[in-house]
Amino acid sequence: MKLSSAQELDRLRSELAGSNGRSEIVISADATCCILRGAKGVAEAFRTELQKAGLADKMHLRLAGCLGFCEIEPMVILKDQDILYQRVEPKDVPEIISETLLGNRVIERLLYQDPATGQRQARREAVPFYGKQNRLILGANERIEPVRIEDYIAIGGYAALSKALAMKPEAIIEQIKASGLRGRGGGGFPTGKKWETCRNAESEDGVRYIICNADEGDPGAYMDRSVLEANPHAVLEGMIIGSWAIGSRDGYVYVRNEYPLAVEHLALALRQAEEYGLLGENILGSGHDFRIKVVRGAGAFVCGESTALMQSLEGKVGRPRAKYVHTVERGLYDRPSNLNNVETWANVPLIIDKGAAWFASIGTTGSKGTKIFSLVGKINNTGLVEVPMGIPLREIIFDIGGGIPEGKKFKAVQTGGPSGGCIPENLLDIPVDYDELTKAGSMMGSGGMIVMDEDTCMVDVARYFLNFLKGESCGKCVACREGVRRMLQILERITRGEGRSEDLDTLQELGEYLLDTALCALGSTAANPVLTTLRYFRHEYEAHITERYCSAGVCKPLFQYVIDPATCTGCQVCKKRCPVGAITGEKKAPHLIDPQMCTKCGACFEACRFDAIARARIKEKVA
Amino acid sequence: MAARKAPAKHPPRKPTAKRAAPAKAAATSAKPSAPPTALEGNGKPLGSVLVVGAGIAGIQSSLDLAESGYKVYLVEKNPSIGGVMTMLDKTFPTNDCSMCIVSPKLVEAARHTNIELLSYSEVDKVEGQAGHFRIQVRKKARSVDLAKCTGCGACAAACPVDQRIRVPEPVPVQDDETVRKTDAILDRYPPQRASLIMVLQDANAAFNFLPEASLQRIGERLGLSFAEVYGTASFYKAFSLEPRGEHLVQVCVGTACHVRGAQRILEEFERLLSVKSGMTTEDRKFTLETVNCLGACALGPIVVVDGEYNGSMNLAKVSRLVDSYAKKEAV
Repeated sequence: MKLSSAQELDRLRSELAGSNGRSEIVISADATCCILRGAKGVAEAFRTELQKAGLADKMHLRLAGCLGFCEIEPMVILKDQDILYQRVEPKDVPEIISETLLGNRVIERLLYQDPATGQRQARREAVPFYGKQNRLILGANERIEPVRIEDYIAIGGYAALSKALAMKPEAIIEQIKASGLRGRGGGGFPTGKKWETCRNAESEDGVRYIICNADEGDPGAYMDRSVLEANPHAVLEGMIIGSWAIGSRDGYVYVRNEYPLAVEHLALALRQAEEYGLLGENILGSGHDFRIKVVRGAGAFVCGESTALMQSLEGKVGRPRAKYVHTVERGLYDRPSNLNNVETWANVPLIIDKGAAWFASIGTTGSKGTKIFSLVGKINNTGLVEVPMGIPLREIIFDIGGGIPEGKKFKAVQTGGPSGGCIPENLLDIPVDYDELTKAGSMMGSGGMIVMDEDTCMVDVARYFLNFLKGESCGKCVACREGVRRMLQILERITRGEGRSEDLDTLQELGEYLLDTALCALGSTAANPVLTTLRYFRHEYEAHITERYCSAGVCKPLFQYVIDPATCTGCQVCKKRCPVGAITGEKKAPHLIDPQMCTKCGACFEACRFDAIARARIKEKVA
Repeated sequence: MAARKAPAKHPPRKPTAKRAAPAKAAATSAKPSAPPTALEGNGKPLGSVLVVGAGIAGIQSSLDLAESGYKVYLVEKNPSIGGVMTMLDKTFPTNDCSMCIVSPKLVEAARHTNIELLSYSEVDKVEGQAGHFRIQVRKKARSVDLAKCTGCGACAAACPVDQRIRVPEPVPVQDDETVRKTDAILDRYPPQRASLIMVLQDANAAFNFLPEASLQRIGERLGLSFAEVYGTASFYKAFSLEPRGEHLVQVCVGTACHVRGAQRILEEFERLLSVKSGMTTEDRKFTLETVNCLGACALGPIVVVDGEYNGSMNLAKVSRLVDSYAKKEAV
């Protein structure tokens, strides 16, 4: 059915909203991580069991996308009872139906348990992970099925579009500018200003392009994948509004090839939007035409950079160019091109719908609205969190994230991916804000937030990022191609235990050169992981160089495994697990590791149930 | 660069600028007129000879001329002399070892007092006539002090720049089946450059790598040179230019997985499969790769085998995983 006016869309919405009076069961089942954890099986079990219990007509089973709390998925939310069950398995389903749905009793063991206090919570709001969040974008995920445009329309989707189409393009740009929205991809450029420049830029044939950057390359960040998987229409709606404001008829979504489900949902959403006349020619009878194409990336990190991305869209090798002329003036095929990140686009309908003033009321002076972070690494509550700007990092990590697992000590949090930096504990009270994070030497980035504990070696982290960037550097400019490689060589030397005293100064110097001379953002920020770790964790570098010791037990030549004879029970588990036969010892007698043979694979350390194996300093060799 | 003038000071009769490199015709002209009868006065040779191309023929000519008393300028466009023969193992028809023949001559040519080597240089201009040539030779920038260089090769080994893209010669590959399959993929996209990456993706998926015949066909149909197609295919990580194993093992080395010990997982795979990351086992059963982030960080460290995700990996799980896939073969 093609909608030809805003009124028809409203009519459809009220029909859709009215038809659904059944009580709801929401399962986080249509997202990559949930599928990994067997959510499809749970959904299937619900379907058959509800049928068996004769509840199939009374209950509405919703296979939603990501609900954010990856740690406890698959989760099931019973809407009427307001109960959240975590880590549900198919075998639990009959019990949920008979006990909770029919018997109105709560199943204690499936409730969320606070890892610190051991308390169980039934209501979702009571779970601390959700308590402090402000889920403006992610909140819609549980109310819709990503594969059903009808769900999105029913909860008010595309209302912002019909509102925008009734507005003057300039008025929309004014709204976006007034909202204070800044680019969520990491750079933080004011979105409204970008749109305005693109609209006013000269184009010989009037062609302008709208691009959605879904090439989420930062390792450890997956909010864009999640938004595209769970709520693709929000992104599309934002893009269509943008196309009207900027005066564009052609749009592209450049999405990572590693995200097959996101591509699938996006393609489906495009088809549905076209069928409803929300995309294509004469959108909602307004006379505005707009089409979107989905283009898959091919695994090059640098293609997240705007000029490289546009090269790649043209089918070329993704190498960035210097931006004397901005892409909003001359971008894709030399036409004005407006590129925004997935999350930025998803914010647009909210601003149009609820007004710029409402949006600007959330956040800090310089950073408005909310930001989605993927809270990962050594953290109890791994997941996607959406928080208002200005919230201190400490609250995200310790209140929402639930702190560090196994009682270990917090060491650092890494934000901004390979372009960002590591923030130590004493700076955890700085608020989440574009400018504050930059001041700390890191950056907002696209939203990866990787928590590190005492078992993480900061020198190794710096080495890891440079190694990543060495592989991803396109090789066009010398500063990045040679500078990153040279810094990596020095770091590798340090992690091998061959560091020299002058190395730290050389790293600092090279890093600063890189900052000044590299062509694109990949290169100019490449030194950030090194510079911040040098700034905040210099003692670790020094320990590597002067004491030849890696306290985290990551750099293999700088520590050894030893068995504590007092704790060792002689159970022989480690001896069996050792792949090189370096462990000797009789049954029930303390074992011994031969440091000459040991490859430090860590198999024994992992296998020991008595914590008898420890990492220790390598003693000076006795001649 | 400073143009070097071949000496014309030796009047009046100079031997012909002799062309020596047999294969390198066309470029400079050699007047066949006056034969090198340069014996004059008290029977001593007079004048100098310029030899273009320091292959085996050029070297031998230079040596002979130098031995008979002429001053020889030996011009070679490559940084080192020796030409093609140094690259050969055996020579026709005697099957003699080519290096054994050529290397003493290389040393001799370099040491001979009558031979001046102009390597890494090219002849720009030849003027005059037989007996009186004026030749302009352009010396390319070498940036190495030849007086001090011992030719140890340490600098070449230490140079971190290895950005050469080795483009194989586009020898047409006859593979109808591949071409047919590639055509089917190409039919789905408009024939323009913008389709290239999408076509490569589909071809990579269809063949499990990008066969040369397929790349050539894509170039033909999209109106691109083979080098452009190859250059694009080798830039992006998602494309493989070599056949991959039956099972593709991808170890996620994203930051979240890294801090949870992905490196050890990768090393265990490398140990068990006895290959390094990026390689295929000898029996073509497994290809081991790393992937930068799969965006499923809650389950880290993650390993994907043939598209199937395995979360929360540890060393024990690695060996179980390898065993289960190795067994699948047996069934």
